[in-house]
This record gives sequence, structure tokens and C-alpha cells, in this order.
Amino acid sequence: MKWARVTIAWLESRSGLGAFIKPLMSHRVPASAKWWYVFGSATLMFFVIQVVTGVCLATVYAPSAAEAWASLRYIDSEVPAGWLIRAIHGWSSNAMVVMMAIHGLQVFLHASYKYPRELNWITGVFLLLVVLGLAFTGQVMRWDQDAYWGLGIGASIVDRVPLIGSQMRDLVLGGPIIGGETLNRFFALHVFILPGMAIGLLGLHLALIMRHGISEMPRAGERVDPATYTPAYEARMEREGVPFHPDASQRDMVFCGACLIALIVLAAVYGPFGPGAQPDPTLIDTNPRPDYPFMWIFGAVSLLPPSSETVVMLAAPALLVVWLLLVPLLGRAGERAPSRRPGMMLAAALAVIGIASLTWEGMTSPWSPVMDAWSSLPTPGAMVRGRKALEVQGAIVFQYAQCRNCHALDGEGGRRGPELDSIATRMTPEQLTRQVQQGGGNMPAYGKNLSSAQMSALVSFLATLKPSDEAPADIPGALLPLPSR
Amino acid sequence: MNGVPSRVVLFIGAVLAAVTACDRLPGMPSEVAPPSIGSEAWTRATFNTYCRGCHASGADGASIPLMDRSYWTFASDERVIAATANGQGVMMPAFSQSAGGPFTDDEVMALARGMRGVFGGSSGAGISATIVPGDRANGEGLFANACAPCHRDGAPGGSLVDPAFLALVSDQGLWASTLAGRAVLGMPAWNHAMPSRPSGLTQEEAADIIAFVASHRAAKKDAPP
Repeated sequence: MKWARVTIAWLESRSGLGAFIKPLMSHRVPASAKWWYVFGSATLMFFVIQVVTGVCLATVYAPSAAEAWASLRYIDSEVPAGWLIRAIHGWSSNAMVVMMAIHGLQVFLHASYKYPRELNWITGVFLLLVVLGLAFTGQVMRWDQDAYWGLGIGASIVDRVPLIGSQMRDLVLGGPIIGGETLNRFFALHVFILPGMAIGLLGLHLALIMRHGISEMPRAGERVDPATYTPAYEARMEREGVPFHPDASQRDMVFCGACLIALIVLAAVYGPFGPGAQPDPTLIDTNPRPDYPFMWIFGAVSLLPPSSETVVMLAAPALLVVWLLLVPLLGRAGERAPSRRPGMMLAAALAVIGIASLTWEGMTSPWSPVMDAWSSLPTPGAMVRGRKALEVQGAIVFQYAQCRNCHALDGEGGRRGPELDSIATRMTPEQLTRQVQQGGGNMPAYGKNLSSAQMSALVSFLATLKPSDEAPADIPGALLPLPSR
Repeated sequence: MNGVPSRVVLFIGAVLAAVTACDRLPGMPSEVAPPSIGSEAWTRATFNTYCRGCHASGADGASIPLMDRSYWTFASDERVIAATANGQGVMMPAFSQSAGGPFTDDEVMALARGMRGVFGGSSGAGISATIVPGDRANGEGLFANACAPCHRDGAPGGSLVDPAFLALVSDQGLWASTLAGRAVLGMPAWNHAMPSRPSGLTQEEAADIIAFVASHRAAKKDAPP
């Protein structure tokens, strides 16, 4: 093996690579840094997986509006293990966002962003934004219904920016509408611009970690004082620190290994994301939802009253980012222990609960109409049986006017409006007529779409919708509150 | 195997197993070919998406129950194709592409024939699929006898001479309901035995009754604007 030793020695003498790597491996880290500190490494691992699988996919993917969808189907069905690589890329993307959030949360809980690591945190915030940008542009790469409508929604949010909104929209889409150039633009973002930014920021982030060392576990009463911190930290590392490799790195490796196994199992069992139906702007019979990292924004936007949409959608993300950037600058000294920072703990808890519940809301709330309910869900037999001739015609009008797309009967149908199983106990025929004719709440007016015969048939049908043992609504003008969704 | 560590063998085995099992993993997307036009699966899927909302079977649905055999005993293919392609009466929309609907002419024909194959049987017994002209005066007496017990004002079936009802139901619709009956609503078919008429109505008598009922329709058809 003499030739191997000679080759390595030659490489080392010319490149100095070993001299560069050795301090990385042996730098001293706090012995207290146990399993809490594995999340950053796992995020890095997922990023590396994204780069490798992304390069593989880019060798086959066709970034053109006409061919993108078909090329994904080709990867799924023709390329050996192509579907598995797509699945790993998709699952790893979600895993990276989650792991990054956990890593950031851990740093926040332990206030590791305090002096002298403010810039570590700030580069981390920008990394988070870049990774979210990668996730969004990655969803667009699928070029299916979800991608198309997700882009449409994103573009209309950008369009709301005061003064320069339409110019920004044109810049994002490559024109006023989603067209052939749009996909090329997002492809360039997804494979060149954003990964380049991520790699640059990541290098800076890691260099800063090497420069300032890994923070110790916080202890109550141990305050960070910028005047004395650095010498005290270095002395303590000299005294109590352990080398990164193998002490800390073995925990990183175990955790990353477990993450890798979980990732491959998820990818192998649940497969790739999409592509869903082909993008077709003439099809409104679709229920697009964004990918998981954006589900909470989807949930939040959908719950907003229309009057506040523009302000909240534009100002809230900007304020959130500014606040995240200011966290280490405003709180650079003082206590790090969670028990001494109740306000920050409350903020973190509220953020986690808020994002989790809005994500749940985004996933489960069926606020889009069910576009084919009117032609596919029959009137339940119990609501037809024993009805008079005109009332049965009213049940047909109910389907004909597509009421079912927003109003469920017997648990089936849209949920945009209230279920109507017992509407007759809440509204009199007069109130029903007024509601159908003039609309109100979220409901459009149907007065111009229905003939008077259809109207009277429909109302006579709706007036039968009540449990047999309950009295019909009969107090003129008294509208009892509708049950919540 | 002497000399080769067992864990190396295990590893190679695991890799081989993983590679060969790659096409059998549960996450692999499968290509499901859409059912061919005219097949039973296609007919059922198309019916469930486009027709079932109004034309479901006995228990559910508010319009003519196409999933029941009763309708298909007198409906001709031509009649079903015409109604599907161009719509029928006030509320049945047209489904052919030439009338703004989703189906090609071939698909309309395949759907009409497919529904008969799936839900019904052959038409026959010399019953006209479309309404025949009737005698209003004769129908009035027949109505009082055969229909009024359920369809007079205040009776469980509700009035049929109500202008609102008649504005929504075409004569052809009345014909189909009379011939097929609506079992779920308690309405018997035309040839059902009644105390006064053990053999039910004849085709001509049904037409007479419909002529009487339709004469109450308001002169100007109350169609949506």
C-alpha cells in the first residue's frame, strides 16, 4: 500500500485539505451538548440529499410547460427507480423544512443566538427563507393543478403590493399570466439561484459556528455578558470541552442514520408527490392545496375576512421576518435559561400551536365547493319519501341550481355553506325565499337564476327539511344562529 | 463462505433484495388505464359522476329513477339518447358537446346503451316511449278515479294541477313518471291494479290523464330568464 500513502501525502502537500479538515473534526465542543444539538446536522444531511437527488432529477426533467408533466410521468414509470428518487426528493424537502424548524426552535429555546452568535441566527433566518423558497418553487416543478393554482394564488398575492405590484407579478411570472416562460423562471430559481444562495449561506453559517464555537446548554442564573463571554467560553472549552469527533459526531451520525432510514421508508411506502391532474385553467373542478410547509399560510389566508386580506398577507410575513432578524440584536445579553425567559417561551409556544392548528385547518377545512356534488350525490331517500309532487320537484331544483356543491344533505355535499338537514327549524319559508333570492353571508343571490316556479318548488322542499319531532321555524323575523361548520 | 464476514454477506443480500423488490414497493405509482368507453365500469363511473345526482335508484334521488328497471321497460334507446344529448323539459341539461355538454355523440350513445345494459332490460310490450296525444275530457274522469286519492289538494302526494309544478314538469316527464311509477314515493306504475280497475290503466288512458293535468299549465311557460 505504499503507492496509496505516497499519493495521499502528495495530495496533502499540494492541497492542504487535511490541514483544513482536521480542526473541523477536532474542534472542542461543550460536553453538555448532548442530543439537543443533532437537529442542525440532520438539516444539513437532508440538504445534501436534496442536492444529490435534485441533480439526478434534473438530468431527466424537461422544464417546459408542454413537457414537464409528461416528463414526471416518464420518471415515475420508465426511469429505473425514478419514482423512488422523486419520492425521496419530495419527502426530504418536507423533512428539511421540519428539521430546520426544530433546529431553529431549539436555538430559540436555549437563546443560543445571544452574543457572539447573532450572525449565526441571522444567516439561519435567511437560510429558512431560501429553503421555503426552494419548497415553493419545487411544488411548481410538478406543473399540475396544485402547482398551477398555487402559482396563481402566489402571483395574486404579489400583485397586491402597492405601487409596484403588477411589475413584480410580471417579473415572477415572466408576463401578466402564467405561461410558457413561468416554468423556466421557476426552474432557474429552483435549480440555480436558490440552491446557490443556500450553499453560500450554509458556508457562512458553518464558518460562523467554527468561529464562535457551539454554545453550551443554558443554566439559570448564568448571564451572557458581551464584555467577558468569549474569554470565559474559550477557557471553559479548554478545561471541559470534548472534541467534536468522535464525541458529538457519533450522536449526529446515529440521529442522521435514523432520519435517513425514516426518509427512505416514507418514500418507499408513500411514494412521490403528484403529479396531480394536468394543469388546465379551464377546469375549475379542482381543489388545489399547497404543500405542507405552506398549508398554515393557506389556512390563515382562508380564515381572513376579505377586508383585511391585503394588509395581513403582505404585512404579516414581513413583520415576522423583521422580528426574527431583530431577536438576537435586541436580546444579545442576559439570561439564556428558558425558565428565566417566560415571555419568549410564550411566544414560541404560541407560534408552534398557531402553525400546527392553522396547518390542520388548511388540511381539513373543506371550504372549496364540491364542484360535482350536484350531479353525483342523490337527494337522500329520507328527504324524498312522503314528499308532495311540488316538493319533489324542489329537490330536483336543489340539484339543478347546484345548491349541493356548497350545502351538504345528510353529511354529503359541499361544506362552504351550512348543512341544510334541519334548515326548516331555523328559517321560515319567507326567510328561505329571501335568502335564496338575495343571497347573503357568503351565498350568491339566485333570484335571477331561478324562475318563480323553481323558487316556490325549492322553498317548499327546503321547508320540509327538519326532524319530524321538531317544530318548524315560525317566528317572523327571528333568525336563529346557524350552527357552526 | 469461509473468510467472508457474515455481515458483508448480509449487507449484499439486503441490497440485492432492495433492488429486486424496488418494483413491488407500496409507494410505486401505478398506471391505471381508464376504462374503455361503453364498458360497464365506464358506464357506472360516468353515470355516478353526471347522472346519479338526480336519477339515482329506488331509495334516493328526486327525478326519474334510471337505476330502476321500471323505466327501461318502455324507454327506447332513441328517446334516452335524445334526452341525454339535448336535455329534457325545464331542468335536465344537455350533455352532448354540440349543445355545450361534456360528451361526444359517440359517448352519449354508449352511455344510453350502457345504462340499459347495466340497469335495465329490453323495451317492448308495445308501449310508446314518447307521449301519445290524449283526450282531456276523458282524462278528467280518469284522474278523479285513479289519481285524485293521492293527488288532490291536501292529499299526501300533493296537487298535480298546481301551475308551479306544471311549469317544471314537461308532458314527457309526466308520461315517464306515470309509466314508471315512483316506488319510493308510494306512487305505483300505470299498469298497477286498482280496486276499480284490476288491470290498471291502458296506455291511451294514461295519455288522457296527462292531457287533463297538462291543461292546467299556465299558458305562458314559466321558464328561467
